[in-house]
Amino acid sequence: MPLEESKIILLLVEDEALIRMHGIDILESAGFIVFEACNADEAVIILDKHNEIRLIFSDVDMPGSMNGLELLELAHLRWPKIRLLLTSGHRRLKDDSLPGQGKFLPKPWSEEALVNKVRSLLVA
Amino acid sequence: MSDGPYCPPSSAGDVDAGIDFENLFETAPCGYVLADKDGRITRANQTFAQWTGYPAALLIGRRFSDLLPVVGKIFYETHFVPMLHIQGRFTEVALEIVSAGNQKIPVIVNASMTNEPDGVIPSIRFTLFVSAERRSYERGLLAARNEAQATILAERVDSELREQFIAVLGHDLRNPIASIGSGVHLLGKEALTDRGRKILELMGGSVVRAAGLIDNVLDFARGRLGGGITLMRDARESLEPVLRQVVAELRSIAAGQRVEAIYAIAEPVNCDRVRIGQLLSNLLGNALTHGAKDQPVRLEASTDADALIIAVTNGGAPIPTEAFEHLFQPFYRGGDKGASHGLGLGLHIAAEIARAHGGSLTVQSDEAQTCFTFTMPLRQSASD
Repeated sequence: MPLEESKIILLLVEDEALIRMHGIDILESAGFIVFEACNADEAVIILDKHNEIRLIFSDVDMPGSMNGLELLELAHLRWPKIRLLLTSGHRRLKDDSLPGQGKFLPKPWSEEALVNKVRSLLVA
Repeated sequence: MSDGPYCPPSSAGDVDAGIDFENLFETAPCGYVLADKDGRITRANQTFAQWTGYPAALLIGRRFSDLLPVVGKIFYETHFVPMLHIQGRFTEVALEIVSAGNQKIPVIVNASMTNEPDGVIPSIRFTLFVSAERRSYERGLLAARNEAQATILAERVDSELREQFIAVLGHDLRNPIASIGSGVHLLGKEALTDRGRKILELMGGSVVRAAGLIDNVLDFARGRLGGGITLMRDARESLEPVLRQVVAELRSIAAGQRVEAIYAIAEPVNCDRVRIGQLLSNLLGNALTHGAKDQPVRLEASTDADALIIAVTNGGAPIPTEAFEHLFQPFYRGGDKGASHGLGLGLHIAAEIARAHGGSLTVQSDEAQTCFTFTMPLRQSASD
């Protein structure tokens, strides 16, 4: 359903520029529209402006006032409909430790794993 | 002949025998002090007089305990004398004698009670050896021991710091490595010359190797720091895609070597997929490094009724028998190649991952092939 999905907007939060570009590349290739932020504070500003965002895909360890997990907790309180996907290279979190039925995807993600995870969250 | 235990022979006889007992007593290389049963000195030899600085005549009539400092005096009255009376002797006692010049002289004292049979009042004999050197030797030993303990403690702290350092370093290296990996993926989508594509492929392989190395080092440091390998078992998602991904990554490093894979896994498998992927990556890496380059590396991943089995086989020379017991030890490297092949952590970590899953990692090696087999029971033991 590429046409349907092309309307779906995601927010990718990642401080490493190349990894952020990689993630955007994968998700855009899969037909999503991707907004980007390089830390949680930037992400909150974008979320405030764009209530059409359906899913946040965030790294855990980033500079700024919040880490990725704290960002998801805040997002879950303020925008409870937004789906949540967290990722990290050195931390491994259990899905049930995340707010709002969020999911965790360990880094490095393969194209297939990332897209599958995002799709499964959006239909849930 | 006298039948008494102590009967001084006549001096004439002594001289005849070539021994002057009087002289031996006075100038013996140890101090002699005789005292009555109450400890009053009745005689002291010249050696003792010289050591202590008291003229021998002045010592007579004084209590032996008067020559001791306060602490020694207490010990003498509460231990020394009672033991002497009970046992008849008391030996190798470290005491200090206060000299005429008020110096404390460390001595080792032996003492015995004489029990003359014919009603003679019993007396006490003291033999004393100056032990200044022995004491300083003992003190030296003690100091050396303390120093050694301090060194061990410092080294323990040191090695803990080193392992923490490794952990932090590995941690911080992961980000830039992951960045490079992302960059390689992105560039792969650009229009490139054949040469550019080849270079990118090699870079991708290097990223995989570096990331795998960091994972192993981090796990090792964590193990040393007491963390051990923690599992996040999850039966909800399938294992096979993870294994396929690892095989694809290792093929990109294999540089012309073939990697054949057969999958026959009945999902779900209750395991930590990331960890099993790491285990497979380590086994394949090991097979590619040590196996014959002109023969394929084979993977068989399957389940039967009871177990998950992952077997990695390579051709080439068999593992020498003497290497078998070291294979799974950290930092062990097959020494046959001359050049260094990484840290030698791969098989060790693989074995640890197997163990954490309640499984095992075994090896069989002969002229035909070398095969590492990971076996994990599919059900937890009945008790849990």
